[in-house]
Amino acid sequence: METADRGTEKGMEIQQVTLQKTAFLDLLMLADPQEDMIEKYLDSGDMFALYDDQGQVQSVCVVCQIGKRKCELKNLATREEAQGRGYGTALVHYVCEKYSYQCDTMYVGTGNTEKTIRFYQHCGFVHSHIVPGFFTANYREPIRDEGVLLTDMIYLKKDLKTEADPKRVLDLALEAGRILLKNGGEIFRVEETIKYICGRFHVEDVDIFTLSHAIIVSIKIGDGDTYTRVKHIPLSSSHLGIVAEVNALSREISAGLVGIDEAFERLKEIEEIPPTKGYLQILAAGMGSGCFGFLLGAGVMDSLAAFLIGCFLYVWVLASKRLRISKIIVNIVGGVLITFLALLFRHFFPAVLHLDGMIISGIMPLVPGMAFTNAIRDIADSDFLSGTVRMIDALLVFVYIAIGVGFTLGAYTNIMGGVGI
Amino acid sequence: MSAVQDILLNFFCAFFGTIGFAVMFNVPKRFYISCGTTGAMGWIVYCLAVEHASAAVSSFFGALVVVLISRMLTVRLKCPITIFMISGIFPLVPGAGVYYTAYYLVTGQLGEAAQRGIGAVKVAFAIVLGIVFIVSIPREFFQPLYWKKRWKLRKASKEA
Repeated sequence: METADRGTEKGMEIQQVTLQKTAFLDLLMLADPQEDMIEKYLDSGDMFALYDDQGQVQSVCVVCQIGKRKCELKNLATREEAQGRGYGTALVHYVCEKYSYQCDTMYVGTGNTEKTIRFYQHCGFVHSHIVPGFFTANYREPIRDEGVLLTDMIYLKKDLKTEADPKRVLDLALEAGRILLKNGGEIFRVEETIKYICGRFHVEDVDIFTLSHAIIVSIKIGDGDTYTRVKHIPLSSSHLGIVAEVNALSREISAGLVGIDEAFERLKEIEEIPPTKGYLQILAAGMGSGCFGFLLGAGVMDSLAAFLIGCFLYVWVLASKRLRISKIIVNIVGGVLITFLALLFRHFFPAVLHLDGMIISGIMPLVPGMAFTNAIRDIADSDFLSGTVRMIDALLVFVYIAIGVGFTLGAYTNIMGGVGI
Repeated sequence: MSAVQDILLNFFCAFFGTIGFAVMFNVPKRFYISCGTTGAMGWIVYCLAVEHASAAVSSFFGALVVVLISRMLTVRLKCPITIFMISGIFPLVPGAGVYYTAYYLVTGQLGEAAQRGIGAVKVAFAIVLGIVFIVSIPREFFQPLYWKKRWKLRKASKEA
């Protein structure tokens, strides 16, 4: 049961063993030489086996739940020829992380041998208590380990609350950041959330670089190793409700109310929150068109016409979203649609409607207000890179709309011979 | 139309218009009223200011009010500031100005485009300034607890 710091073999895999646990009896007997003692905990305990890159079992352990939020590492054994390669340490870290969600403390009992105790101390265990005469009372034959006769059982314990795999923590933080950025969260909120989540699970040394469409995060783990992840997040439609939910979740995580597994599940649920119902969005677009048209100085009748134009426009926007039509097409066709409807309305009510007022009100639902505001905020935060990217994204939308409108008006003028523009 | 009526009409239009955009941005239902109020307040301040100052200066004051209200609501309702700010600032965003710029560019009226474009850029920078001013206020100023504590300290020091 000895391990070393370095030389950890790559390509090992740890799996829980649920069937035919007795197949590993020979390995288990290395750590616990009396078979009936092993059988006491083998059925109730969870068994984990570590396979090396050739698929050979090199190390096994058994963990039992021994009370509310307490568990005990009953047996840990590594093949004699594979000792000193870090298999044991890897297995201990794995079970500590795994049980940290259901237990607060992990115990391990061992004989009074310096080497074993040092191994567990290396894994983060501290001295807990001693059961005198355990070995002499429970084992028929005296046990010797490294020439020492074992009598008392020495218990060590480890606080699992701080135990969480930094890689998994980073994955969680990155996932939260990705959902935020995708749905219109600000750069600083993304970075703050990642920092909070990492901080809660005691992952320090986090470096984050966030762009408007990518997140790069890097952490230091252990012996000078780093773990870095890059996530590309294409610009897409936003959902502020999801931003609010992720924000609430990150508050709960930093308050220590949510564990890693639960957080992953919650994030999945949050991402599936549906957008507002289609007809409501269509009505809202009409309302936005009409109201802002009026604010921009369009007449009352123009605003009413703009309400209808806005509704029709959003039917197109929603349909194109479902068909995944490119944004360029959506906006150009949107401009055409608005102008066409405005011309049509004016054709029927030439006395009360004004083309310009209807068009400018009608384009309101297409105005990339969120991209624009986020761009402005990024620039205000001196994040010029993301700010300019978002700003260009926003400005191009206007250009596309203008192309649509200009094209339709030009065509109309040509057909009607320049009358009435 | 009297001035009061005019302001009321503007308020309601800005209120419902902002809610319309809040719905399109998928803001949760419980925040609709707060978003609408934020947008309407910003717009009213803009309207009052625009009679005495340029569009850019008025946008600056409008943005100040929007961000101030957003920050207060954020602390009170415990949710991201974006929700109120993006919806609330929408009436001030120079959407029409930028659209006209693009339109004149596309139709080849470069002089008009430049004029509109510069106007829009001015408004955009005014909004940036408005945001920066309010965002640089330390967070504690928006927490009631901070003021309670300060008040208590003051009282204690006076008594001493």
